Amino acid sequence: MPMKGRFPVRRTLQYLSQGDVIFKSSVKVMTVNYNTAGEPTSPPTSKFVFFNIPQIQYKNPWVQIMLFRNMTPSPFLRFYLDSGEQVLVDVEDKTNKEITEHIKKILGKSKETLEKEEREREKLSHPATFGPKKYHLRECMCEIEGQVPCPAFVPLPKEMRGKYKAPLKNESSA
Amino acid sequence: MAPGGCLLLALLLLAGTVQGQHWSHGWYPGGKRDISAPQAVPAWSPWLVPCRGRKSRHDPPAKSKASRLKVPPPVDPAELCVVTERYRQHRLVLGALRSIFRSEVVQRKHEAQKDAEDSAAVLEEHRLLMAWNDAENARQRARREERIRKEKEEQKMQKLQAMENKAKVMEAFLKEKEKEVLQLQEEAKTFITPENLEARIEECLDNPRNYNFAIDKEGRIVKRTALS
Repeated sequence: MPMKGRFPVRRTLQYLSQGDVIFKSSVKVMTVNYNTAGEPTSPPTSKFVFFNIPQIQYKNPWVQIMLFRNMTPSPFLRFYLDSGEQVLVDVEDKTNKEITEHIKKILGKSKETLEKEEREREKLSHPATFGPKKYHLRECMCEIEGQVPCPAFVPLPKEMRGKYKAPLKNESSA
Repeated sequence: MAPGGCLLLALLLLAGTVQGQHWSHGWYPGGKRDISAPQAVPAWSPWLVPCRGRKSRHDPPAKSKASRLKVPPPVDPAELCVVTERYRQHRLVLGALRSIFRSEVVQRKHEAQKDAEDSAAVLEEHRLLMAWNDAENARQRARREERIRKEKEEQKMQKLQAMENKAKVMEAFLKEKEKEVLQLQEEAKTFITPENLEARIEECLDNPRNYNFAIDKEGRIVKRTALS
């Protein structure tokens, strides 16, 4: 399978999962206005768009991200929250790292919030239960270590089988 | 030899039937009469005879089942109607209850989330962050305006400089031209006009000049030959 695009590493799961900007649930739309031609000062916003926007979208699949090229003289980001508030972020003169730090600070979920959510999620599922693969780790009791193995692979000993126990019971009762 | 041939045939047939592929013969490894069966076999060996699925797809039904007549289980039509109707109602009610409970759980979760977000502390924090963002924007704006102002000044300086250069060049050009004009004026004094033509001819004839000389690379006269 050939690598596609100029920096194919941007398409790898490892790179995408390294994005650390997770927006608060009130952020619905993110708009980026930038220019493709050279900017007067050196760090270009197109680098932020090229490298960091895929990471942000991967971590926030329900946030709509729109890019507008060559419409305004200076680059900026605009966030539309669900309360109708619009947050403007001027990104001229900022490297892509600075931009991500800035938006993480103003609109990203803090580490405590993320940890709390993680703990809530863990509470819902118990690792010892078994059932459908969607909700549990194991599907059947036979998969758990230390339990009787599945009779499909290893036949049960005679004493545990119904067709051995039944005639014995009939004999003892008759 | 006919009896010998018959014996050979019988032997071959026997061999053929004994090594038949039917599962009940037990000749395959792990079968009933397998030599290795008495040895210790691990409980999870895949070669033990399975208790389920003993017949493969292509085995014929057993002789004891030759007279078996497959009949569906007996059903009382009235009972069937009643029971299906009761089941239908039961499932309807249970399904409705389940969906109500599900939607209730989801609603409760959403409300809890909203409460967590709308709390005063969260709003306050949001307000502070927005204020900080505005401050950053203002700072950036100041920097940008400064930069634009500087650029404008530089442009003005460059324009002035260009104009000065132009003026200088023009001045130099005019000076050059003036010098040429003055030189021409000077030369005009030694021009030969119809009035002093005769005087000049007399003068030339009176002062013969010898142009027969050679010069070296430095321009000094090296050789002269006499005028004949």
